[in-house]
Amino acid sequence: MRLLKTGRWITVVGLALLAGVYVRALAFTPVERLQGVAQKIFYLHVPAAVWAETGMVLVGVASVFYLFLRDPRLDHFAAASAEVGLIFGTIVLTTGPIWGKPIWGTWWTWDARLTLTLLLFLMYVGYLLLRGAVTDPGLRARYSAVLGISGMCLVPFVHLSVYMFRTLHPQPIVLKPSAPSLPGEMLVTFLFSFLVFTVLYVGFVTQRYALALLREQGEPHA
Amino acid sequence: MPENAPYMVAAYIITAAILLAYAVLLYRRTLKP
Repeated sequence: MRLLKTGRWITVVGLALLAGVYVRALAFTPVERLQGVAQKIFYLHVPAAVWAETGMVLVGVASVFYLFLRDPRLDHFAAASAEVGLIFGTIVLTTGPIWGKPIWGTWWTWDARLTLTLLLFLMYVGYLLLRGAVTDPGLRARYSAVLGISGMCLVPFVHLSVYMFRTLHPQPIVLKPSAPSLPGEMLVTFLFSFLVFTVLYVGFVTQRYALALLREQGEPHA
Repeated sequence: MPENAPYMVAAYIITAAILLAYAVLLYRRTLKP
């Protein structure tokens, strides 16, 4: 299937570019004065967080359209985006505590941003568990669409939690109304990393979506 | 070597491991007849 092969190629390109991100971040990006090299976790943590949140928004948008149009392709896309979003959410919830330990002195604290991110992760887990538990395709798509829309409603609270509550987690450095407060070289590395995570998201979702289509059609996968 | 370098190394290794593992998992799932 052409779509599957396209997804594989996009993923391979994304993984190759990820190596480039590592080289640029570790060897060609200055070390932050206060945090030291631990700050370089930023270049992986933040792009993964953006796609963990965006992935759930796309699940919600596809779910809304599914409830109106009843097109199974929208349900397949929502499932694909949820699975990939869970992967990026896992990266956020592992790199975050690893960054927090040397800077905050603790792996975890029940601050609003961290707690809501954990809740977003659990929404992904619940969404995928629900899909696995319901066998009827129509019911599964309808139930999971409702949960997907609920997950989408959570995302603004995750993003704005650092403004709404007094949190230990810092406020956005790049995704904020004013200009990014990051030196040029660091900003370029961040944008490069964000681009690569975007390529990986697209590659993963394309493959996962193609897999769902093939399963539906009962065709051989390769 | 800076004091908090091991944390950075761990984060970079774990991220690469998660992404590679998922890429391999997807590849294997799409190979099944």
